Amino acid sequence: MTKYLLRLYIAGMTPAARRAIENLEALTADMATQDQELQVEVVDILERPQLAEDERILATPVVVRKLPLPVRRVVGDLSERERVLVGLDILER
Amino acid sequence: MNSSKPETVNTGIQGLDFVLQGGLPRGRPSLIRGGPGTGKTVISLTFLCHGISQGEPGVLVTFDEDPEALLHHAQGFGFPADTYVKEGRLRILDMRPDQSESAGEGIELTAILTRIEYALKQTGAERLVLDAIDGMEGAFLGQSGLRKELNRVFDWVRDQRVTTLITTGELENFSTRFGLEDYIADCVIALKQEVQHRVMTRLLRVVKRRGGPHSAGEFPFLLDSRGIFMVPVSGAALDARVSSERISSGVPGLDEMLGGEGPYKGSTILLSGQAGTGKTSLASAFAQAACRRGEKVLYISFEESVDELVRNQSSIGGNLAHHAGPEGGHRLIMEPVRAIEMGLEEHLMRIMRSVSHHGPDLVLLDPVSSFTNRHEGECAKEMLLRLMYLLKEQRVTTVATELLSDSSGGVSHLDVSSMIDVWIKLRRHEGNGEMNRLINVIKARGLSISNQVKEFRMTDAGMTIETPYIGESGIVYGTARHARQEEDDQIIAQLQQELDQAQRLREEMEETNAARERLARAEREAKAVELDRQVMELERRLASIEGARSAIRRSRQ
Repeated sequence: MTKYLLRLYIAGMTPAARRAIENLEALTADMATQDQELQVEVVDILERPQLAEDERILATPVVVRKLPLPVRRVVGDLSERERVLVGLDILER
Repeated sequence: MNSSKPETVNTGIQGLDFVLQGGLPRGRPSLIRGGPGTGKTVISLTFLCHGISQGEPGVLVTFDEDPEALLHHAQGFGFPADTYVKEGRLRILDMRPDQSESAGEGIELTAILTRIEYALKQTGAERLVLDAIDGMEGAFLGQSGLRKELNRVFDWVRDQRVTTLITTGELENFSTRFGLEDYIADCVIALKQEVQHRVMTRLLRVVKRRGGPHSAGEFPFLLDSRGIFMVPVSGAALDARVSSERISSGVPGLDEMLGGEGPYKGSTILLSGQAGTGKTSLASAFAQAACRRGEKVLYISFEESVDELVRNQSSIGGNLAHHAGPEGGHRLIMEPVRAIEMGLEEHLMRIMRSVSHHGPDLVLLDPVSSFTNRHEGECAKEMLLRLMYLLKEQRVTTVATELLSDSSGGVSHLDVSSMIDVWIKLRRHEGNGEMNRLINVIKARGLSISNQVKEFRMTDAGMTIETPYIGESGIVYGTARHARQEEDDQIIAQLQQELDQAQRLREEMEETNAARERLARAEREAKAVELDRQVMELERRLASIEGARSAIRRSRQ
């Protein structure tokens, strides 16, 4: 079983941030199977700037695949699902 | 922003602060643009680290170079950047874009602002550098909202009221396209490189300076392992801060020729002469006199090496080594400058950097003519004038030597006379199988000078100046002088003798005349006595005859 830890960084609840959250939640719901589990964390860097620093974030929204390694990241409102999947290297069913 | 603080923030680069009339506008963003390798990063690092060294923490945001490399860079210029980081006075934010995929629209650059703001707060930074901001474009190429987002970043930066320096490359006019130049930067500086006569020159130009004056024109600067150095091309009006203090030239006779006490302190002295006339020796005399007064001397030799100089001067009683060594308190600093491939600007800047590093009272340039021989005349002359000007501005006494070619007929072609306060000419006088050195003062501002050509002698004991012998057939120097003097002495002796004789004869004649007169008088007197006696005798005889006659007549009656 593959366990994905996806951390979505946003900078305040902007329209793009809201869309990214919705898109990512929809994606994880669709992708969840018996073989893979997708866990999502949303971090607002306005509240935790040190995390933005540690993660060297320039643009938001950005989703970072923390697990499994290697780390991969995709920026934008994640409206293009195909590119999100390729970018995060998540296997489709 | 604290209103009691000055309106400008110094950059730590003296020449740049001068050009910017104080520095960068306080609490405002400034922009430096220039191609790769023009010195943008060095200037911004200097600005930042200089601030930190003065107690103003700084934040550096890098969009292009590795933070480690930047730290290493700053260390190289003598800033303890690693320590600054450890002490929390310097924060480097790595904002080099990584290879993220983008999926969908609507990227926001709020994270950049958040990170910078966080760092500014944590460090209490007063200076901010955004290095190579044009790197952002490549990272988010094709994002429709990029321009808007970047403008938001720039707006935010402007609102921070932190003195900010943004650097960007010239590529594809990033700064113009994103409105950096017209819109956000209060001060815009452009850097470029130029290659002329196979020599590269770096140039800086202030394109814009809102709310403050700036010097127009392009300013050359030096960029090497010691950091940035620049001198203004044309400073403000000549600030004639002349000293009334007089300094000895080290040659008593020369001091006498210069109004009795030598030239004024801080004046510019040119020693012109052909080969072998003793220019360097005279210059060394100036240097040693200054050292003996406890002044610091920077000896910049364009031709002779330091060893050669020390040896040559010790042969005529000089002791440069003493003053350069620990016993002499290292008062003499000797710097040979022989890099022929160096540009004029670089020469000038290296000399001025040495001057600001050592802070000498007297600078020797020996010989300055090596500039003009090697470079195009006009540029060399201009650069020399600037050098002399800058030295004068710093109240440094300058002694420059000029080598005149034998074919020059003793005419200087430096043509810098306007800048020269004291101009001394040395020349050779050949005749009677020997060479003598002559010295005369062509001009000396504010001093009553000797207009006489004197003889300049270099002996084991040092230098002396002698008044030449002015005799029956003109002025003569050297051995001829002695010969002529001897010759004349003989003539005088002879004439004296003749005079004595004539006077004696004259006196004798008087005596003879007197004797003769005495004799004549005696004769005359004797004759008179004789005649008187005769008269008496005759009268007596006549009277006796008359007496006899009257006795006879009485007897007959």
